[in-house]
Amino acid sequence: MAANTGILRRPLAPSGIWAWMTTVDHKRIGVLYGVTAFFFFMLGGMEALVMRVQLASAESTIVSATTFNAMFTMHGTTMVFMVVMPAGAAFFNFLVPLMIGARDVAFPRLNAFSYWLFLFGALLMNFSFFMNAFPDMGWFGYAPLTSNEFTISNATDYWVLGLLIMGIGTTAAGFNFVVTILNMRAPGMTLMRMPVFVWMTLVVAFLIIFAFPPLTIALTFLLFDRFFDTNFFSDIGAGSDPLLWQHLFWIFGHPEVYILILPSMGIVSDVLPTFTRKPLFGYTMIVFAGAVIGFLGFGVWAHHMFTTGLGPWANAAFAATTMAIAVPTGVKIFNWLATLYGGAIQFKTPMLFTLGFISMFMLGGLSGVMHAVVPVDSQQSDTYFIVAHFHYVLFGGAIFGITSGVYYWFPKMTGRMMSEPIGKLHFWLMLIGFNLTFMPMHILGVIGMPRRIYTYAEDMGFEPLNQMVSAGAFVIALSIIIFTINIVRSVRQGEIAGDNPWGAATLEWSISSPPHHYNFAVVPTVRSQYPLWDEDANVVTPPALPAHEEPIMPDPSYWPIVLAFAITMVAGGLIIWQGHAIAGLTVISSMGLLGMRSIFGWVLEPMEEEQRVSVHH
Amino acid sequence: MDRGCDICNKLPFGTALTLLCHSQYWPQVNEVVRMVRFPKFSTPLLTVALMVLLLAVLSACTSPQNTFDPKSDAADSILTLYILVTVVASIVGFAVLAAMVWLLVKYRAKPGVPAKQIHGNNKLEIGWTIAPIVVLLIILFPTMFWIAGTADNPGPNTLEVEATGHQWWFEFTYPGLGPEGGDLITANELVIPVGRDVRVTLHSDDVVHSFWVPQLVGKTDMFPGRTNVLQTFSAYEVGEYYGQCAEFCGAAHALMRFRVHVKTTADFENWATAHNAGPVALEPGTAAARGQLGFATCAGCHAISGTVAQGRIGPDLSLFGERSTVAAGILDNTDSNLKAWIGDVRTIKPIPEGARFMPTFKDTLDEGQIADIAAYLNSLTAE
Repeated sequence: MAANTGILRRPLAPSGIWAWMTTVDHKRIGVLYGVTAFFFFMLGGMEALVMRVQLASAESTIVSATTFNAMFTMHGTTMVFMVVMPAGAAFFNFLVPLMIGARDVAFPRLNAFSYWLFLFGALLMNFSFFMNAFPDMGWFGYAPLTSNEFTISNATDYWVLGLLIMGIGTTAAGFNFVVTILNMRAPGMTLMRMPVFVWMTLVVAFLIIFAFPPLTIALTFLLFDRFFDTNFFSDIGAGSDPLLWQHLFWIFGHPEVYILILPSMGIVSDVLPTFTRKPLFGYTMIVFAGAVIGFLGFGVWAHHMFTTGLGPWANAAFAATTMAIAVPTGVKIFNWLATLYGGAIQFKTPMLFTLGFISMFMLGGLSGVMHAVVPVDSQQSDTYFIVAHFHYVLFGGAIFGITSGVYYWFPKMTGRMMSEPIGKLHFWLMLIGFNLTFMPMHILGVIGMPRRIYTYAEDMGFEPLNQMVSAGAFVIALSIIIFTINIVRSVRQGEIAGDNPWGAATLEWSISSPPHHYNFAVVPTVRSQYPLWDEDANVVTPPALPAHEEPIMPDPSYWPIVLAFAITMVAGGLIIWQGHAIAGLTVISSMGLLGMRSIFGWVLEPMEEEQRVSVHH
Repeated sequence: MDRGCDICNKLPFGTALTLLCHSQYWPQVNEVVRMVRFPKFSTPLLTVALMVLLLAVLSACTSPQNTFDPKSDAADSILTLYILVTVVASIVGFAVLAAMVWLLVKYRAKPGVPAKQIHGNNKLEIGWTIAPIVVLLIILFPTMFWIAGTADNPGPNTLEVEATGHQWWFEFTYPGLGPEGGDLITANELVIPVGRDVRVTLHSDDVVHSFWVPQLVGKTDMFPGRTNVLQTFSAYEVGEYYGQCAEFCGAAHALMRFRVHVKTTADFENWATAHNAGPVALEPGTAAARGQLGFATCAGCHAISGTVAQGRIGPDLSLFGERSTVAAGILDNTDSNLKAWIGDVRTIKPIPEGARFMPTFKDTLDEGQIADIAAYLNSLTAE
């Protein structure tokens, strides 16, 4: 066996920046995802505020059309790919192994690789801002507006390459979590004993595996159109079809919606039992409803395209499937409400956000059913009614759910509680600001305000409601500042949490807060869905082991970050190549070689560094 | 709501008052109620839902793009379904929210009262799987009938129009109505007769656009390389209606608008005849006559029927004096706006560098020449 396949020594120090960059610990990777998502949440939020300042008055000239178009393009792209998805990934990473009684995910280095690809892809795309080429053709990138003929700068190139790189990482993560959940459960943790959050993670992982390939194909076609003059979407006269892009994009795009919302559905399904002090009502039904949503999610994409002239048969079919997907969603909401029945409800901050999720998400679901009615959609499509709808689903839904999860698991992640009074202030401000922002948008849609317009004339009558919306956006911003203060304050001086501050029932609460790097000293044996509420709870909380018997965990590795860097730089080289052929080719070839070297290094790397091995024996 | 009550609107709760005394939507609401056969107990919920619905309508009083103020058979039939789903969704929404609040109050933690350890109830769960299916069928069937009823099947007296989207303006072609049975071509202001079926086929010359006149008909996208057909509609009343591109189409998307003029049949025919006849002979020495000569600069791209100007790159400008707007529905057609537009389009529309669009003329033409061209264009009327 090769003694050391690397060029550099593996860093073995337990902390410091180098330790974080080479970590393969699922908990640390979860924290990295979470912190990065929060950073981009701030960025995407600021982009939203720029739009709201512009739209607060009729015929406003505060920002230019191009700036405004870039703001809504990057707000959408950022919030979907760099905020809600990685926030979900943060929870998958931190929680899934803890919840199923495992010591790590199935492929720890692949897990790190996923994160670094996500980070570098996001940075590459946002780097375009400094190159004066911020993408401005919409987050949906409809052809042929993305072709070289209509997009002269490199903006679309940054967008395509950034998404492709993030997509590789996401797909790898999808496989990682399917394998982890199916193979690494503790003895007795049968599928139907898993926490709902783990179930939803499994469904999301499958959705990722099947939904990302169409996006990757569409982006690759577009990449070839832009770089090598192929003709998938660009030259209509020569037979390309811009409608093809829409099909490929939305057959990814609609499952993507469930990739964004199912983690939050899992979070609230685990928060509810804890704060009602009773089991989830209809666990089986909630699990199966989630799986059904996953399947049906692939059969509704054309409801994004009711105005593209698909014809009566396609419209009728997709109207029916779209209405059908409301059924499992409705079932979940009813089961959550039934969980409240007979409970002893404690209104802690995580519970408040969960209740906010259920109510706001339900409103978003109802306006979603309205779009299924094809003629109604012909009036609502591409208006502010749609903007209102998907913010109720993705902000009122996904973000409220994620925030609930942050308040709920923060003690497990940091060992400290978050402040309850500040948390409640955060909740009420966010709920009020959210409704002030997005409720009037329904009416704006009804009175005919299209989306994606950087200005509107005074005689349109859009101004009063837009002022209300803009005011609401700043209330949301204030609530997020309060959230940030709460996090920063609680990390340093929050009350010490203990192992199980909420009296919750699932495995992650059986170990210390924060957990040891090996999670469980002894792998627990599970006998029910709510192991910590059972009488023989002590079976899952074995005594701590002496230090010399600590489980041996994989050592850190720098190959994931190096390989992710090399892949990203190859993409960067492609962009350089457009302006400077020689420089571009140099970057592409040198980084390609580095990537190859990283793959060999990765494959041949032993699980443990030799000097560490000698210590053990 | 232009027929709304000024007095009511000025009072506190004016919106609610207007709703109770003046709503023009009761026929549609009644139709929906009949169609669905609501049980009696839902009346209070229905009332609340309608209040919210009509609040939405009323705050929309002044918008010329209000989808709740339909002015054609097509927009009307859409609104009936719109109200149906809004009412159904509002009832479900309020019922679930009310149930949630009740549960939260009733089952808040109380000392000494433990939670009931219930794991589920099969009958209930089957029940609330079936319930949404029933509710959804209530809206699914009307949707299907609507789709079937709007199959593209033009009647004999249907007016055919072709609309083409360009970055960032609309072109309208009437096959067979032009000189010698050819095409009549106009731009940015569609003229149609009242009470007659209009069938618009849609194309695009560059990127994807979308044709939308909220008060007349729902939107349908305009694709390059494909032909779409708009739902056939027949306008109720003579008037001017606002339309707007509803698919993001690049930098100036927000400023890609248009108007629809609904005229009496006689006025429509006069308009078409005058359009084909071209300009009357202009008295030499007037600004308009000088402008006609100066228009040679523009003739490479713009056409005016009945003259030598036959460019087809930019909008057709025949009968420009009849139009109410300049620059694709964004500025009133006044002398100063028109001169500003000819002088420098880039101060009015955000045209990206390199895009195919009208050049800036303020450097090549002096103010007098621009004023002459403006005078000529506005002399092109149907009188």
